[in-house]
Amino acid sequence: MTIKLIGLAIGVGIGFVFAWAGLSDPAVIRDMLLLRDPHVFLLMGSTVVVAAVGARLLRANNFRALATGEAVAWSIEKPQTRHVFGSALFGAGWSLAATCPGPVAVMIGQGRLSGLFAAAGIVIGVTLQAMWQRASTAQKQVRAELQGTAGL
Amino acid sequence: MTWTIAPWFIAGPLIGLLIVALRAAANKPFGALGGFVDISESGWSLSRLGFRSYLLFGLLLGGAIFAVASGSFSLSFAYPDYGSIALASPVAQTVLLLIAGVVMGFGARTAGGCTSGHGMSGMSLFSPASLVATATFFTTAVALTYAFALLGGQS
Repeated sequence: MTIKLIGLAIGVGIGFVFAWAGLSDPAVIRDMLLLRDPHVFLLMGSTVVVAAVGARLLRANNFRALATGEAVAWSIEKPQTRHVFGSALFGAGWSLAATCPGPVAVMIGQGRLSGLFAAAGIVIGVTLQAMWQRASTAQKQVRAELQGTAGL
Repeated sequence: MTWTIAPWFIAGPLIGLLIVALRAAANKPFGALGGFVDISESGWSLSRLGFRSYLLFGLLLGGAIFAVASGSFSLSFAYPDYGSIALASPVAQTVLLLIAGVVMGFGARTAGGCTSGHGMSGMSLFSPASLVATATFFTTAVALTYAFALLGGQS
């Protein structure tokens, strides 16, 4: 439960700043995507720099997470096709809505209820993705089994 | 009584610090997509919602607190005419938002993260997958936003 409450608290902090910085305003996102305003790019860049330095400082000092005692560590991933394919799709949806998963939640909190439609869509989208994933995994399994028996 | 928009050099580092705080407190990465995945898988049983849902709900609450504090809270179904695809009918705009959401949800889950997960957290960890994902969704989004604006005769 402590971890969940930590998540809630940090979420509140980030949500507050997202709102304050205009990230939940589709007009701001549109200006960014039209390359009219560097505000969001600069914001994200500075976030990445601060988070990068902070994470490395924690790890270098063998810092143990306050709630779990777990040593601060992480793994990184090699790029795969799904990162490109999935992100292209994501980018398409993003250009249509001028909002994305984090900001849409913030937007709803600010009272912009139309965000609920985009949010509902995201829930549907992740659900469909899981179904597609299961179907394509099952298909691969069947293929593998068929190839196995073909070798006999 | 609304606040002026936070400058990037204040908001950006603040978010960065909060991401570090999450690391320090729970060794968890910040991301928004996970909450939606959790909601999708929880079968709508609130007691089964985990950390990622709490993080997402926090974002919502943070938005609400900001809106109240800055006197900008306002319940409305309006969505700004952002010019990508200008739709006259509110019903059409609603359907568009829904479809956009579905595409984002499907795409982000395939990619394993969204703007926050890959663009902020993943990038800060120098994850090659996040670099590729971020470059891809930014390029796609910018290109399509321009295309839609040109098609719509607006900019």
